[in-house]
Amino acid sequence: MILILIGIAVVVLVVVFGMYNGLIGKKNNVENAFASIDTILKKRYDLIPNLVAAVKQYMEHERGLLENVTALRAKATSGNISSDEAITLNNEINKTMGGIMVAVESYPELKANDNFKDLQRSLNEVEEQLSAARRAFNAAVTDFNNAVEMFPTNIMAGMMHYTRRQLFEIPEVERENPDVKSLFA
Amino acid sequence: MKTVEEFKAYYEKDLRPTLEILEGERKSSLRNASIACGLIAVVVLGAVGTILASGGPPMFALVLAGIGAALAFGALQLFTRGFKSQFKDSIIRPIIAYVSPELTYAPQGKVSRGEFQSSTLFKHRIDRYKGEDLVEGLVDKTGIRFSELHAEYKTTTTDSKGRRRTQWHTIFKGLFFVADFNKHFHGRTVVLPDSAEKLFGRLGQKLQSWNVSRDDLVKLEDPEFEREFVVYATDQVEARYILSTALMRRILEFKRKMKVPVHIGFVNANLYMALSIKKNMFEPRVLRTILDFEMVREYLEDVMLAVGIVEEMNLNTRIWTKE
Repeated sequence: MILILIGIAVVVLVVVFGMYNGLIGKKNNVENAFASIDTILKKRYDLIPNLVAAVKQYMEHERGLLENVTALRAKATSGNISSDEAITLNNEINKTMGGIMVAVESYPELKANDNFKDLQRSLNEVEEQLSAARRAFNAAVTDFNNAVEMFPTNIMAGMMHYTRRQLFEIPEVERENPDVKSLFA
Repeated sequence: MKTVEEFKAYYEKDLRPTLEILEGERKSSLRNASIACGLIAVVVLGAVGTILASGGPPMFALVLAGIGAALAFGALQLFTRGFKSQFKDSIIRPIIAYVSPELTYAPQGKVSRGEFQSSTLFKHRIDRYKGEDLVEGLVDKTGIRFSELHAEYKTTTTDSKGRRRTQWHTIFKGLFFVADFNKHFHGRTVVLPDSAEKLFGRLGQKLQSWNVSRDDLVKLEDPEFEREFVVYATDQVEARYILSTALMRRILEFKRKMKVPVHIGFVNANLYMALSIKKNMFEPRVLRTILDFEMVREYLEDVMLAVGIVEEMNLNTRIWTKE
């Protein structure tokens, strides 16, 4: 009889440990995934000065855009900002970069420039990696949220004060189509 | 892309005259093979008859008949070998050149065993590795290589009477395709047909995450893709960098079109694709006439299928840092 009780206790303990460790693992995966977003954002910040330098001499009329993106970058890399702020800043950066890329369309010389082409490839790559990191983060969060809300791990999560986390969503950058008519006017 | 009409014109002008010569070749080799088979039949049947008439062991007669059948099959292969290699050289080779002059064809060549193993798509130990019909070259900016492959392993069992029996089991048989992938990556990502999740749902996914012979399970957000495939990778972010939402869709559509199991691996800067196609591709037929446009068109379609993977997977899009 005692043996059976001990057996049951051991099984319960193993299950509890399993759930506990599983939850910790999932939480760490979320943090890990956020860190990888951060790495790629840094990579992108590094590209911004290069972009500005490459387009500056061509884009006389879009000075405002370039100054704007430089300022945003300075803010984003200044360090003491929360992750929410980082996300908002990046949405701003997205929008401004989109604007610059649209403006590039009216400078065929710039578009044909080899340095600029390389830079554009690098930017494309960073965007693609950023989207991948975001998807990885969202997958980790979904996994974590499932564990937090589903039975029986939700009991354990409640005791550990784990709550649902937000998914990382970035609004589609609204790219205006370049106005072809004005180019030939 | 060239149209069927253009190919038909090409067939009439360039392929048909060669096919007519080869048809004669086919007939004569088939005739020789039949004569040989007839001779073998006469000898074997005679021997079997004598054994049975003289009250010899029927088992022995049966074995002899088996040997006879094997000999006849061997004779057929032997007599048609020349025709087959001629056919590949003068029909398959021009068809491949017709698709793209940048492709080369080696009827005896195959994707190397090392490369097949480095794809990590199939992890079983290989005991026999065969292949043929290697095509290699550039499709626009993308280097490709494909061949037919057949990889097998063997099991040997010893029964109660101490007789050893060796059996061969197929690991993979079909078309194996390698292409230079259009994005830089360092780790390993494999996309395999999903069996567990289809049958057991979430529990199946749990089981998949415990698969020790593979890397980490990657759960992707496309539910249709997830139902058809299971993805393992060394790096969660990189796997998603490679498998963009667009590429997942492309893979899914490709799989549905092909209707055969599809394994895809991203390793060593390459895309590896294993299509478990049953038929023996690029193989001339011996028993029926070869003066048939539909038959030639099928060869063309087979080549186009493999070359078309570049287009299907969008590999010529080079907007990232890899040129």
